[in-house]
Amino acid sequence: MINVKELEKRWLKYKTKSLMLIVLIVAIIGSLIYSGYYILYKLDFGSKKAVVSKVIDDKNISDTNISIATPSPTLTPTPMPTAEHRKDIIQLAPTIPIVDVDSEEVKRRPKKIIRHKKRLVKSKRVKPKLVVKKKVKPRPVVKREVKEEETEHKIKKIDLKITSNNYIEIMKKKFYRNKNPRDALLIGEAYYRAGNYKESEMWALKANNLDKNSEKSWLLFAKSKNALGKREEALKVLIAYYNRTKSPRAKRLIEKINSKGI
Amino acid sequence: MRKSKYSDVKNIFIDSVDNSNFVELPLTAFNYQTLEDSLNKPLKMILLFGRPGTGKSMLLNRLYHNLRNIREIHYFETPILSEKEFLKSIYESISSQKIPDNMRVNFNGLLKYVQNLKGKREIIFLLDECQLYSEALMEKIRLLSDTRVIKFVITLHKTDNEEIIAKEHFKTRIWEVVELRNVSIEDLEIYIQKKLIQKGFVEVANMFTPKHIKFIHQFTKGNFRETNKFLYTLFNIYEFYDINSPEKILGTKLSKKILEMTAIKIGYIHD
Repeated sequence: MINVKELEKRWLKYKTKSLMLIVLIVAIIGSLIYSGYYILYKLDFGSKKAVVSKVIDDKNISDTNISIATPSPTLTPTPMPTAEHRKDIIQLAPTIPIVDVDSEEVKRRPKKIIRHKKRLVKSKRVKPKLVVKKKVKPRPVVKREVKEEETEHKIKKIDLKITSNNYIEIMKKKFYRNKNPRDALLIGEAYYRAGNYKESEMWALKANNLDKNSEKSWLLFAKSKNALGKREEALKVLIAYYNRTKSPRAKRLIEKINSKGI
Repeated sequence: MRKSKYSDVKNIFIDSVDNSNFVELPLTAFNYQTLEDSLNKPLKMILLFGRPGTGKSMLLNRLYHNLRNIREIHYFETPILSEKEFLKSIYESISSQKIPDNMRVNFNGLLKYVQNLKGKREIIFLLDECQLYSEALMEKIRLLSDTRVIKFVITLHKTDNEEIIAKEHFKTRIWEVVELRNVSIEDLEIYIQKKLIQKGFVEVANMFTPKHIKFIHQFTKGNFRETNKFLYTLFNIYEFYDINSPEKILGTKLSKKILEMTAIKIGYIHD
């Protein structure tokens, strides 16, 4: 007969072995998962944290006068940083140079300026078109549509007025930062459109001082003078400019002022 | 000592070529039909081959028992390795005459004798374990089959070398090849269930679950001989527990522990 007692011992040995194998596999998988997690999250985070603290330290040592390096919440040791904290750290890491604060502002502002500029240009283009329509097509059937368009236009105009103040302010800030004659001219033109001829005269002069060859500055200056009632001065300036450049635009403006078209 | 029911159960799985132990499976039924149909064709030789334990001998045995009363069929269950003895046995089977021990059969004489029977008789010889025959003897078998009076159904173990023998020696003569393979899990389940039920052990047959069959098939690969060995060992252990500590085999299903112990005992699992 079969020796079952001995066979039972062998079976027990086999079971122990297979159980140990399972435990070993589970342990290996567990350690792999843990090490993967550690490498992915803990080590990665640690290195970023180290970089940030180093950056901030360097900043404080190299430039003590600049008060940009305000005490950051990331500098205070926190036991377990949350996801939001981690985000802050990541964002802070590349902002080593102090210039960044200014450049960031510069980066933000032009976008807004461009938008305003676009709106202004749009309004500029829309306005004369409507005037032409009114004059050329005064058909009674179309009148309703024209009225609708008019109301639409009025709304647009209101919007522009609201934004124009901001536009001038923004442009002024920009001008004082960059001293660009084109910006000064744009401010002058804005003032002229708003009916503030004194300011438009002043900004045309500013633009002209920075760029003597800017035709627009000459013409705006003359138009502002004329609007302020200084017709003779306006003509004087324009004639002087026309003699120098023989500009057809200047000539047309002289003729307009002479015929009191403006 | 008390006699266990498992003593009888284990004996069912003793590896024997007994027609009463034949279990008909879908695959074996198909193979048997192919073999029987081949005998009705004008073939010289039929080769039945497959790995050991795939049921070649069992199939040959079944064929002999089913046809012995309707056809002239002779079955050489064990291979006759001596050429002298083989020729003597062939002659004795055909002529139904007993040749004295001090005499031998001349092959050319036998060939002529067989040729004279052409058109009168059709004799079938079933030769098991033909891989054990010498090449010279195989050549003589071929020559005898060429007379178209004797048809040989031979079985060969399917190993690399024997496959070459089968191909090279008989490729011009064997027109029918029946290859036997190991059975699938489903067929193995039918085999075990049928084997137990046809001997009246329905309760024991119900102890097997598909999981147990899968476990057995995992080691035996559906080989009949290996399965029989496994089940014999399994019920041997059951017999021991039934006599010595029956509390260990109280469940209605097979014990996984005992199945694993069987695998260890046979050497499928290394402790």
